[in-house]
Amino acid sequence: MHNWKRYLGQALLYALFFIPLAFLTSQPLYTHQADDMATLKIAVRHAGQIVGECVAVSGPQYDKLPKNMRPPEVCPRERSPLNLALYLDDRAMYSAIVPASGLHNDGVSSVYQRFSVPSGEYQLRLAMNDDAAVEGDTWSRQETISLQPAQVMVVRFKEGFTIK
Amino acid sequence: MKSLFKRGFNRLDSVFSLAFTPEWNPMYQLGALSFFYFWIVAITGVYLFVFFETSISGAHASIESITHNQWYLGGIMRSFHRYASAAMGICVTLHLVREFAMDRYSGVRAFSWISGVPLLWLLFASAIGGYWLVWDIQAQYIAIITSEWFDWLPIIVDPMASNFLNESTISDRFFSLLVFLHIGIPLALLLGMFIHIKRISNTRTNPAKGLAAGTLIAMLLVSLWRPALSQAPANLDVALTDVGLDWIFLNPYPLFDSWGPGALWGVLVGLSCLLTILPWLPSKRPQQTPIAVVDPDNCNGCGWCLADCPYEAVTMREHDYKTGHQQSVVDPDLCISCGICAGACPSSSPFRHVDELSTGISIPGFHIKELLSLTENKLSQLQGDCRVLVYGCDHGSVLEKLESDSVAGISMPCSALVPPAFIDYVLRKELAEGVMITGCCEGDCHYRLGNTWMDQRFSADRMPILRTRVPREFLRKRWLGVQGSKQLEQEVLQFQKDLTTMADEQSQESVHA
Repeated sequence: MHNWKRYLGQALLYALFFIPLAFLTSQPLYTHQADDMATLKIAVRHAGQIVGECVAVSGPQYDKLPKNMRPPEVCPRERSPLNLALYLDDRAMYSAIVPASGLHNDGVSSVYQRFSVPSGEYQLRLAMNDDAAVEGDTWSRQETISLQPAQVMVVRFKEGFTIK
Repeated sequence: MKSLFKRGFNRLDSVFSLAFTPEWNPMYQLGALSFFYFWIVAITGVYLFVFFETSISGAHASIESITHNQWYLGGIMRSFHRYASAAMGICVTLHLVREFAMDRYSGVRAFSWISGVPLLWLLFASAIGGYWLVWDIQAQYIAIITSEWFDWLPIIVDPMASNFLNESTISDRFFSLLVFLHIGIPLALLLGMFIHIKRISNTRTNPAKGLAAGTLIAMLLVSLWRPALSQAPANLDVALTDVGLDWIFLNPYPLFDSWGPGALWGVLVGLSCLLTILPWLPSKRPQQTPIAVVDPDNCNGCGWCLADCPYEAVTMREHDYKTGHQQSVVDPDLCISCGICAGACPSSSPFRHVDELSTGISIPGFHIKELLSLTENKLSQLQGDCRVLVYGCDHGSVLEKLESDSVAGISMPCSALVPPAFIDYVLRKELAEGVMITGCCEGDCHYRLGNTWMDQRFSADRMPILRTRVPREFLRKRWLGVQGSKQLEQEVLQFQKDLTTMADEQSQESVHA
């Protein structure tokens, strides 16, 4: 084969490799979420209440201990799971019992959820129980929210629900 | 499926060989090209890092500045960085599929195959980390999806995605971590690449110079035509809608939206596990012949077999009983039974004055004395004045159709199993008028180096050489591969014609004399 034909073939093959490659590094566009949708996120990081009561320590074993090592009471470490729910216009978007982290369930409970919802006005209701000893919700919040297209609204918890 | 891929690659090989020549054929150098692209990415990455600012506000702005304010250097560097990484992704994928299609992933090669699987993860992680650093809307998409994907794992207690809730939750320290990862993961990739090629000898980690030059020119032109650009800066307060994705590295991400994190983990981990166990899955591949055996009586410790073994299966140690001498030792775990060592052994000469031909190292299923008797038997049956012997390999052109009254074909595991002395012997003893050597395509030997060593033996660049007394016009090499079987038939016919012409000319000269 003549050299010029060979070089032409090489140019063609380089083009066939690099042109689609350059195109594919940014195109075609991917639609992650439609234009008229908004994003609602909930991120809660909260330690539930201690499960059980502290118990005063006494008895023969206790008396054998040196005085400086006698604790007045022994407290359980386990924390209550979070019973968390998020409603939009009374529709449950999220409802779960989130256990406390750690081998002894003595850490914080963490939740993260992301929802794509059509933009518009909603009645947002948040409810959480962080104490297994209490019936019903220990924390709650209800509010009318207005979600704009492509808006990101974040619900967090710090001594009460915050909406931003 | 494998044979379908094989046919496809054989066709592609032919097209590329036509345009690039076998020496420059990129399909034969996919691994070397991947190394080449890695170095381009590394060098350009160092340059970009000098100007990169590791902060939320600075990351995007600094890259924009590199791209636009010094487009002639920084911009091109950035484009090279992006396009070389994408090209590496494609080459690595093609390399994987090709080795699978060509049945080069089991037995001794299983180590390279398995060690390549984690490299895929490291390569993707390196590329994705790089896109993250740009901190545009694609990076925002990557940040959210990647963190949510990892949060699905039960070992993650604190959701990583909580760091990307909105603009107030992200910190500059995050970029320091990203930079650390974007340097650390590619270094781990490089280490993995080194391990990947550790068990093979004479590895090719640099592509042919012409191919490298052509690649650089092509990348420069593409970088000028379509420079790598950032998208709009990330803003976690605004939800993502349309995102420009790198479909080469981010192709699993849209699956996250459709299938969810669990299914995506299942698919990717399942695929990785499947690739890992592939060498042990039942397959139609032929059973490996017994490994090479050393005969200490005939081994003189020259080390030529050690130099030629493509998988470093041969080592030397003190001779069993000849004081001061060495002998070859074969590692059964590394031997692939190609027989290249037998072709390299100086004892594999039919001219030796021994009752029964023996050699220092050979394959039990295809001993050199069997090759000799096969050669003599086949040639004794040939008729006519233009007898041709074709030595070929089981992975190259098919020889059965070539055979006729005047053409004999002998196929073996690798053509480099034929010691050059055999060609000398056939021609000198006038057992045939011509000898043709054929096999896999040039630069694409099934056993990596067979045809390269044969070329070097014939050109007297490698021991054992084909002696200069052997008339080269009665010898032809044609590395055509399985796809060149039909062409080989034509080549043999042409060879016979040329031999006849030469014989006629010689007889005329003798009449004149």
